[in-house]
Amino acid sequence: MPSSSPETDSRSDWTEKVLPTRLELIRDAEPEVLGRLRELGYSEDQRFAVRLAFEEAMVNAMKHGNRMDPALHVVLNYRILPDRIEIRVRDEGPGFEPHLVPDPTCDENLNRPCGRGIMLMRSYMDEISYAYEGREVCMVKYRKREGGSA
Amino acid sequence: MRIRTRTEGPCQVIAVDGSADVTNASELRQALLGAIEGGARRIICDLGCTDFVCSDALGVLITAYLKARARGGFVRLADPQEHLRDILKTTRLDHLFEVYPDVAAASARP
Repeated sequence: MPSSSPETDSRSDWTEKVLPTRLELIRDAEPEVLGRLRELGYSEDQRFAVRLAFEEAMVNAMKHGNRMDPALHVVLNYRILPDRIEIRVRDEGPGFEPHLVPDPTCDENLNRPCGRGIMLMRSYMDEISYAYEGREVCMVKYRKREGGSA
Repeated sequence: MRIRTRTEGPCQVIAVDGSADVTNASELRQALLGAIEGGARRIICDLGCTDFVCSDALGVLITAYLKARARGGFVRLADPQEHLRDILKTTRLDHLFEVYPDVAAASARP
């Protein structure tokens, strides 16, 4: 199922925020997104999933992408539709190859303190992809209605 | 996030109330590693009132677990609520940590 269609892929649907690389700003951006999801009737489980993935994406962009360089920025784009939320987070770092990140759930990696952000995003969102050589992560979460269908 | 520390039998209980996110994971690190550096060996992390844990906070728990274990002790998790139980299962960290339904059960085991 495509994450967008021509009639709904208008730029006017999207909200863009450009944030300096400061971790405390992540908390400032969250309430707006989560509050809108609540208004639209997204379940508590879905809002938790989006919050987790959103924070992990922003942290990855600032820490691993921008290497906490305060001169660099993170560009957040999101749109919330009745049936789904789409989030795009882009950093100004060198990019990376997601498939080269070790699987933190393997026995040999279980006691590594780092490296769980990407797998949490994959697990808690319905779709995830990368663009711009890994500098942008695109995530989609569908609104599940009662009974479990999207 | 609010961190409360108490003693329960031979264990030091560190309760994490609220959200353990990237903005306050350093406080959790200070509480856990500070306890270990201060001599605590048996630590129970009470997650009964924890509503959110990010990967940074998970990393802090793992670091504390490894340090305590290297000194002959432990870090056990108690009373994680549904979302946290799901995160522990998703990350397979329930295979690394001993997870107990409550603090009493965690402290009762030698």
